[in-house]
Order: sequence, then C-alpha cells, then structure tokens
Amino acid sequence: MARWGMVIDLNRCIGCYACMLACKQEHFLPPAVFWGRVLIGETGKYPAVQKQTYPVLCNHCEEAACVEVCPTGATTKREDGVIIIDYDKCVGCRYCMMACPYQQRTFYANDRKQYFPDQGLTELEVLGKQLHPLQKGTVIKCNFCLERIDEGLRRGLSPGMDREATPACVNACPAKARYFGDLNDPTSEVSKLIAEKKGFQLHPEFGTNPSVYYVVR
Amino acid sequence: MKPYEWMVKCTPQTEWIERRGILFWLAFFFIELGAGAFFIASFFNIVWGMVIGWLICGLLGGGLHLLYLGRPLRFLRMFLRPQSSWISRGIIFVTVFLALGLIHIVLTFLDTRIFSLFVATNIFAFLVIIYGGFAMCCINGIPLWNTGLLPVLYVVAGIWGGAELTMGVILTSGALTKIGHSVEEITRVLLVFFAFLVVVYFIAVRYSSVTGDFSVREIVGRRWKPLFWIGVVLVGIMIPLGVVVSSYTLALERIPIALLWLSIFGGLLGDLVLRYLILKNGFYSPLIPSQAT
Repeated sequence: MARWGMVIDLNRCIGCYACMLACKQEHFLPPAVFWGRVLIGETGKYPAVQKQTYPVLCNHCEEAACVEVCPTGATTKREDGVIIIDYDKCVGCRYCMMACPYQQRTFYANDRKQYFPDQGLTELEVLGKQLHPLQKGTVIKCNFCLERIDEGLRRGLSPGMDREATPACVNACPAKARYFGDLNDPTSEVSKLIAEKKGFQLHPEFGTNPSVYYVVR
Repeated sequence: MKPYEWMVKCTPQTEWIERRGILFWLAFFFIELGAGAFFIASFFNIVWGMVIGWLICGLLGGGLHLLYLGRPLRFLRMFLRPQSSWISRGIIFVTVFLALGLIHIVLTFLDTRIFSLFVATNIFAFLVIIYGGFAMCCINGIPLWNTGLLPVLYVVAGIWGGAELTMGVILTSGALTKIGHSVEEITRVLLVFFAFLVVVYFIAVRYSSVTGDFSVREIVGRRWKPLFWIGVVLVGIMIPLGVVVSSYTLALERIPIALLWLSIFGGLLGDLVLRYLILKNGFYSPLIPSQAT
C-alpha cells in the first residue's frame, strides 16, 4: 500500500507564498484560514544573518498524535497515510489542535467572514461551499488534496507524476521545490530525494514520523 | 505575537485559554474543585459539602465544558474513544461520578449508606480529579504540560481546593466542630504539599527543554511575574500559610472567622490563577529547528 508523502527542497523555495494561495484556492478556504503556510525566520546576528524559509503543512504523521487524542473518532488515518477529519463527527473540543506539535490545525469558528464584506458571496465562493462544505465549530486542516489523489488514481494516474493527481501546492510551486509521491516505493522521486539528500522531518523527537520531509542540499 | 512570528519562535497555545477557551480553563477548575469537595465531604459525611461539590462539578464544570465545544449537541460522541483519548475518559469519569454521586447523596439524606457505593463514587471522584492533569500532560508538543508532575500538582490542588470548600461549608453551618478541625488539618497538609509541588514543578520544567525554560521564565520572571507572585505565591500560598501558622500559635478557635474565610478564598484564587498561568504559557517549540530560543 502506498504511503503518500512530500519532500520540500529548502534551497529551492523562494518564499513566494504560491503554495499557500494555491491551497486556499483549491479548497475555497475562508478568510484568515490557511492549511499551508510559509514560515520565514532569521538565525544569527548581524552581519552573519541567515534567512530561513520553511513551507509547512499538515505532516500526515504515521504516529499521529491528533488521531490518538480525538475523543470521537472524527480524525482518522487512511490506509495510504493521509490524516482526514470527518466534519460530521467532530465536536470541536480542539484536543487535536493541542496535541499537534506542528500546530497545523485550525478551528473554523466563524463562517460569516467574507472576502468582500456586505457584498455577498461571489459565484466562486458559492461553488466552493458546495464542493468543500466546511462546518462551523469543527477543526479543519490540510488533506493532501485527497480528492485529487483519489480521482487521479481512479483514472489510472500517478500522484506526484501527473498534475491532475498531485496536490495543488506542488503543482503551483514555480521553483519546483515540492515533490509528492509514495514514501513506501523506493524508486519514487520522493524516496530517492530523501535517501540522496538526507531528508529530515520536523521535530523527529516527538516520535510522530511525519510524511513531510525537508532537504537542504 | 505578530503573525510572522507564528511557530518561528516559541508559540503559545491559544485555543484552551483565549476567547471561548476561558470556558475550558474554568471548566477544568470547577470539575476538579467540585469532585475534590465531594471527595473530602463524603469522607466526613458532610452532606451539604457533597451537594455543593456535586453541583459545582456537574453544573459549572460539566456545563462550561459543553459550552466550550464547537458542536455541543454532538457531545455523546465523546464517549466513544476511551482507549486512547483522555477527553473521552474524562467525560466518562464525570458522567459516572455524577450518576453515582447523586444516588449517594440521596441515600445519605435518607440516612442509608452503602459502603460499596461510597467506595465506587469516591474512586470516580478521584478519577475526575486526575483527568485534567493527564489530559494535558500527554501533549508532548508543550513542555510545560508534558511532565508527570502536572497530574500530581492538579490532584493535590483539586483535593486541597475541595477541602477548602468543605471547610467553607462547615464555617457556614456554624461553630467549628471536631470534623472542622480534621478538615482544617487536611488543608494544612495539602497546602504545604501544594507549595512544595509548585516549586518542584517549575524547576523540573525549566531544566527539561529550552521551550520549557521559556515558559517558566514567562511565568516567574517576565510577562506574568506580577500575577504569579501576587496571585499564586502571596494570595494562594502565603496568606493561607500565615493563617495556618497563627492557628498553631493561637489555636484554631481563637482565629477570627474572617481570617479563615480569607484563607479559603486565597487558596481557591491561587489555584485558579496557577491554572490560568499554566494554560496561558503552554508554548510550542519553534518549527524552524535552529530557532529554539
């Protein structure tokens, strides 16, 4: 069985935020909600300052803390490793948000925020609410664009290789800093990158074994 | 915290303490306080203490817990995952405790005591007291919470608060009886233990990790310094300790009742403030590896 994962090449990332916006557009995310983010930090002191750019998203951990702590079973891990939330089961206790050491979950508290206040929803927003019906009072997060993965696989496409079956953030990256594929397949591009460039995960000490890797060389 | 500092530096959790999160803080406090009061009152067969503890746990604690939920009407689903979720275990503990406690109270009013029911109710009261600490300490992303000392601290605080509340019930009902003296003795022991645990807890967390050290410094020496030293140390520990010392020198009966009340309110307020500070200063480590300071 495949285990979907992502590799982000930090040397290639230019911090353009295209991935953030592509994700927002793909899932018609409401104002102020981001499933993917770009963190920009600085290390060192002048004149030896180094700028670091880290795109982050749900890590779809193999040993996901959010799945463990969910009291209702709303958060589950699929066989392919993608962590999903069933909005119909979520009670909004936010224990999963606390448990996620990467802080990649958002509580959807306000469904009245509009991109164009007092002008109603645009046709695109109406369509988005039909395609991705988020529920107020529940927790939401990145789903690795599983609707694209599932539809792509149904059509015989390969996620990571064919654009239609690949997450939107990977497709949108103009610097080709993101790679997507099967971590269980040693011949996949992501597995090779991790092996060749010594890919690392964020906070491995938590024992969550994230499916998102970073490479720097 | 500015938006561009999010997870680049130590980032505080907000969902369990800001905006509606305030309900969560109060819910944990009242649930443990109520169960603690029931626990102590039932040992001394103080029926009004049990009633007040039960009401505080059920109505205030349970009610605020439900109000905090984003989808409160689905709360029955929270019973489904006790095998791995402390929130699920907690709601089961609270429900069973409230059910058994109600039967125990009714039987006590009828002058009928069933020993097995008494034991079972108090086991569940104790489980309710420990649940908050365990729910928080299993979150390994927040070093301030991720220590085995937190449940111990919360258990002592819960039972101490319960004993204080029971003492309040005894004072309200009139003169200090022999039972009153016994309850006061318990509060004294627990107060000393609580003060000791607060010190040990902060020292242990401080040396556990860079983020843990950051959290403790925020509480003890930086932003929350006035609230900690005045709210927890002075009001929550020193004032009750002063009353304890004076009761040993003057004898409990000669202590003005107002001073005993001051000690009770001080202790409860100190516990409440400490819980606020622990929730408020639950910091996550930065995501960018080299920015852990």
